[in-house]
Amino acid sequence: MNALEKLFIRIVQRVNINLREQKFDAKPYVWDLIPKEQMTKFYAFYGISPDHPLNLQFKHSGLAGSYFLGKIQVSNSLLYKTDVRGDELKKKGDRFQFGQFDIPVSRDEEIVIEDSAFVKTLVHNYSHDPETLEKFFIKDTLSVHYANIHGSPSDGCFLGPFATVDLTTMRDCIIGTFSYVQAGEISHLNVDPGTVWVNSPRSFNFLYRFPLEKLKKYIHFVAGKQPEGILMDFMESRKQDFQRVFDVVNIDPLPDIPATASLDRYAVVNPVVEIGENVLVSQRAYLENAVLGKGANAQENCFIINSWLEGNNVTAHGAKIIEADMGADVFVGFNSFLRGQADSRLTIGSECIVMPHTIIDITAPLTVPPGHLVWGMIQNKSDLETNSMPLSELATIRTSFSRGSMFFEGSGAEFVSAFKGRIHHILEANGAFYNEDDNTGQGHAQRNQNMGFNTIQPYPRGDHEGLFPTIVIQP
Amino acid sequence: MDTYLIKDLMVPISEYATVSEGATLFEAYLALEKAQEEYDHNKYRHRAVLVLDKNQTVIGKVGQLDVLRALEPKNEQFELFEDIRKYKFSNQFIIRLREAYRMQEEPLTDICRKAGQIKVEDMMKAPAEDEFIDINTSLNTAIHQLASGAHMSLLVKKAEQIVGILRLTDVFAAIFHTMKECKL
Repeated sequence: MNALEKLFIRIVQRVNINLREQKFDAKPYVWDLIPKEQMTKFYAFYGISPDHPLNLQFKHSGLAGSYFLGKIQVSNSLLYKTDVRGDELKKKGDRFQFGQFDIPVSRDEEIVIEDSAFVKTLVHNYSHDPETLEKFFIKDTLSVHYANIHGSPSDGCFLGPFATVDLTTMRDCIIGTFSYVQAGEISHLNVDPGTVWVNSPRSFNFLYRFPLEKLKKYIHFVAGKQPEGILMDFMESRKQDFQRVFDVVNIDPLPDIPATASLDRYAVVNPVVEIGENVLVSQRAYLENAVLGKGANAQENCFIINSWLEGNNVTAHGAKIIEADMGADVFVGFNSFLRGQADSRLTIGSECIVMPHTIIDITAPLTVPPGHLVWGMIQNKSDLETNSMPLSELATIRTSFSRGSMFFEGSGAEFVSAFKGRIHHILEANGAFYNEDDNTGQGHAQRNQNMGFNTIQPYPRGDHEGLFPTIVIQP
Repeated sequence: MDTYLIKDLMVPISEYATVSEGATLFEAYLALEKAQEEYDHNKYRHRAVLVLDKNQTVIGKVGQLDVLRALEPKNEQFELFEDIRKYKFSNQFIIRLREAYRMQEEPLTDICRKAGQIKVEDMMKAPAEDEFIDINTSLNTAIHQLASGAHMSLLVKKAEQIVGILRLTDVFAAIFHTMKECKL
């Protein structure tokens, strides 16, 4: 047994110790998911730019195919094709509002990953925990394919495939397959697969539970097997396209990209793609026959195929839009899967909010009217009636509401306001509102243009095969 | 308190309501009614039925709460309502969901008729380890066992046989009597 295997065993043991109360054994779920023999095959890489602080420290870790940006420490961990994007971390002197507290940030924030293993996971945003503003920690945590750890410090947790934890500190929790959690703080919780939960204490509480039999067709994960289903097949079928962009050192920039837009060199772009002003296309995004209007964005692991986005569209991490026409200001949440057909297109009206982890998969044309909230599993018009409502109607709810497998308690107006505020913030951070004339409103779309990339390599053989030497990268 | 002995306070098992394994909830109720008729009417009513196996060994107890639980509708929807509690919904919200769903359900009389067909072993609770007490144990220990385990009664053993039931109500009466004698 080499050092990499010993490390993996120790990580799994750490997670199991944290989850012992829930009698969870992570080993059969993950043992074959981190391909030990592949850990030497892929380089890791990091971004450098004048606009992002740089402090990367790697120690006793495997980092195959992973990407790093910003201030990040990784020790005793295995990261496989994982993106750790520290471009939204807080800076010394920033102030953080939490309830009645106005908290000064005393030093630049860092992402600190210890004793953890991730497969094809995204780590992004910043710590929203007022107790740990300068350290976005992730320790004793395992996550598998296409999970998102977004602004969520984690201690002793397991995230299943396509699980997302957003703006939530979690301790000793299991986040089930294709579940989305945004709840501030959770502890010792086993979140069932297919749960979409958005909780703002004393304001609102939204919950949707997917019908598991139907969800199984899209994503299914059991111990001892790889994740299976349409979502995995979809990702696998486009793997080769990504291989090409990762294998080539220099990729010729595409013509006709506006000076105010950013197209990451690690994104796949298949003809014919039209990119508007202030558009952001992140690494591992996939565009094919797509139009992205002014201020639209496609974040990591997003796929936009045979689709048209009018402008100021947020396509959050992992969302997929296929054969669809999206009006202006439409938000599509994390890991959503929206699939029309060439002869049965999906149309989503302007200012709609598609909840994170929504599946719309249709065989007849379907139109979502403007200004609607959409959630859950939608395969036809009848499902749409059950799983959508006008935002204006939602805003009138003061106590509670339930429909189908969706449950809502609290203030609908606060829910709508919170979502709209966050969407605006995302667009702002991405540079959608950048004004070239007075150079105001810069965001990722403008700053990421000045990015260079370096690669680092693991030990190719020997006891440390697959692990990287200790590396410190600073300005 | 030392003047009271467990054997004086307990209800002998011969006077307690019992049914055999395989009986229905309705038969358990009839056994309870019969035991009460034969019991001293001045004493506090029995509230539970013991379930015996073919060797006359106590294998469980059916209390009033178990009956109420048997009346609770059991289907995926109600399980879902209980399950979503962990996602920080308020009690009032869960109650409202249950009420709204119950409106579409069958009337109470039908639910009771169904509950009468339920086998006692499907709703009984097997006695926990701390629900047994030896007949020679002090009453102080019995009080501690009732209080710490939050039990309504204890099964009194002599050698390996269950010989009676020590009920919280009888222990409470003894305590109250002692307090009166102390002239507090």
